[in-house]
Amino acid sequence: MDLISSAEDKEFRERARDWLNETAPRERRPHHGEAMREYDKNWQKVQFDEGWAGVSWPVEYGGLGLGLSHQLIWYEEYARAFAPDNHLCFVGLNHAGPTITAHGDDAQKSAHLKHILTGEKIWCQGFSEPSAGSDLAGLTTRAEIDGDELVITGTKTWTSHGHLADMQELLVRTDPDAPKHKGISWVIFDMKTPGLEMQPIEIMTAPNLPHFVQCFYDEARIPLANVVGGLNNGWSVAMSTLGFERGTAQIKDQIRYAFLVEQMIERARKRFGTSNLDNDEIGARLAQLRADMAAARAMAYMVVSRAQAGIQGSESSLMRAMVGEVQQRVRRLAFDIIGPEALENPEDDDWVYFYLRTYSTTIAAGTAQIQRNIIGERVLGLPR
Amino acid sequence: MDLLPSSEQEQIVDTIRRFLITEAPVSRLREHGALGNPDAFLWPQIGDLGFFGLSLDEALAGIGLSSAEEALVYREFGRHLISVGVFGLTLGARIAAIAGEAELRDRLLSGSNQVGIANTFEDLRIGPDSCNGRVHLFEAKQASYILLLDESGAALIAAEECTNRETVNATDASLTLERATLNNVKPICWVNADHEPVHTRALLLLAAYATGLAEATRDMAVEYAKDRHQFGKPIGSFQAIKHVCADMAIRTEAAQSLSLFAAMVFAEKRGDQDFQVVSSKIVATDTATKNAAANIQVHGAFGFTAEANAHHYLKRSHVVDLLWGDLRTQRKRLLNLPYSGE
Repeated sequence: MDLISSAEDKEFRERARDWLNETAPRERRPHHGEAMREYDKNWQKVQFDEGWAGVSWPVEYGGLGLGLSHQLIWYEEYARAFAPDNHLCFVGLNHAGPTITAHGDDAQKSAHLKHILTGEKIWCQGFSEPSAGSDLAGLTTRAEIDGDELVITGTKTWTSHGHLADMQELLVRTDPDAPKHKGISWVIFDMKTPGLEMQPIEIMTAPNLPHFVQCFYDEARIPLANVVGGLNNGWSVAMSTLGFERGTAQIKDQIRYAFLVEQMIERARKRFGTSNLDNDEIGARLAQLRADMAAARAMAYMVVSRAQAGIQGSESSLMRAMVGEVQQRVRRLAFDIIGPEALENPEDDDWVYFYLRTYSTTIAAGTAQIQRNIIGERVLGLPR
Repeated sequence: MDLLPSSEQEQIVDTIRRFLITEAPVSRLREHGALGNPDAFLWPQIGDLGFFGLSLDEALAGIGLSSAEEALVYREFGRHLISVGVFGLTLGARIAAIAGEAELRDRLLSGSNQVGIANTFEDLRIGPDSCNGRVHLFEAKQASYILLLDESGAALIAAEECTNRETVNATDASLTLERATLNNVKPICWVNADHEPVHTRALLLLAAYATGLAEATRDMAVEYAKDRHQFGKPIGSFQAIKHVCADMAIRTEAAQSLSLFAAMVFAEKRGDQDFQVVSSKIVATDTATKNAAANIQVHGAFGFTAEANAHHYLKRSHVVDLLWGDLRTQRKRLLNLPYSGE
């Protein structure tokens, strides 16, 4: 156990802090559409051009080639500088990129990794289907081999920003006769491929604005060479992808939410008075959240510590399960602190949208209930 | 940043764990029943192993390790429901050492004297010249000294200076409990908090101990859920039980991670030590109580019996919560501490 950072770590931290404070965009990030896409791509390109994208990515694909501790420092400073998240780059940076790095061949790495880091290509996910959600391995979108091509027919849903994406990480069934976990492949799908149609799905945070799309594939043809990590090996490739999502990037959210709790304490003091707050239910909830955020951050450090030690396992589900619920409690309490104003939803709203948004934190990337199955079975060894 | 114990730290944990498995199996509480203080016979042995002075400087006759190692050891104490008298010796030896009472320090480090611990019952005020108020005394029957502490400092007083002593039945019946009055008692040793934050250290160790309680009940529940069959299956295969166990594991991971992190922040004397330690006590004691309750539920009617050890963990978690500031007190304190995002 140790907290000490080396002189080199400190130097990296200071450089990152200075750069982020100077460069991070201060204009409001649009919540939707082409404006959001441009904003995210520009900010990613600035990070790449000035040598800050992909801290722990290999140098040959445009990264900095540094270790997890540097990646952690980068995210800490990123949050501290209130740098905006470029959500559209999330799937590329945190799913597809690390998956291709871990399982892809040289051609796939050369073709895709750098474009993810530069923000040139936006990736989306094609995992869930209308009838395969928690039971992801039950997916039925079919990919038939025809010479050196895959012919894809079926449907994917809950694809965030599919209409704004260039590429898709897609799970397809390549062997319908094998047991359900054994016949799946992880493939790279170009969103301009003929045979793809998309239908927008509006979400509860912003009716009238598409967030998800449902994808319909009608004999869409992609090269067989787009299979990553081997034909029919997609389940284990996908599981490692989900593992990345539960990894180090979380520290950024932890720090952001901790700052948010501090803002809420200030706001509550103004509204209720410091001495009232001490004996108030709101005060007790705020204090508990301060403690829980401290724990969430320590849990993220634990995840990184395990990763550094090369310990592979499902333990990161413990943090994810905790964090999803704490984030909901933070935003819910913010609502109570704001009071009647929470009933208003102005253009420059900072609260309502984000509050509603947290209803996804216990659903996306494995529901809270699926997380608990994973924890019960893979961490605690309980029978299925 | 590394929260995982090093191999040297693992060895220390291993030493105390092997000792406790042999000398202090949790089943001992059943045999002793309400006789109280069944662990006093352990003190000289734990003293011999050096565990009361683990984090004390070598110049002060300690082992010279840090609060990180001490927190790891206190987790094991919690797992084994070691009497809270252990806090009296660890913290008492430190107070004596810092106050320059070398002879007293050495007796406490060796475990040859006992130190009871006082907790506020009504209006406890302590200071270098005079301590007053009504207190609860834990494990003080054969103790020569009593440990007192709050945010201002920490004291050892002579046990015979406590008056109006009245033994009461303890909710946690494996501990002895008395009510007593302190009337203008001058400490034998006093350490000011700005010189040495004994209160913060006490909360840190309580959090580690509570984490150990939570680990033990998680493990008990999981083991039972694998063994116990109903409807022709282990009950742990049912999500209703599996998810209760998963919740216990989630909470325990939170308590463990923060306890280790807070221990290192404290060892480094970082500016946010109070923030992290108080947070740790809140999370860990809350986890200990919730896990203890869940463990009883997972065990069904058996969990409600005196024979199952489940009830000991519940009762001890309430003791740990109330010691040196309960959940409500700690929350109020945390809300008013300066934030440190470092």
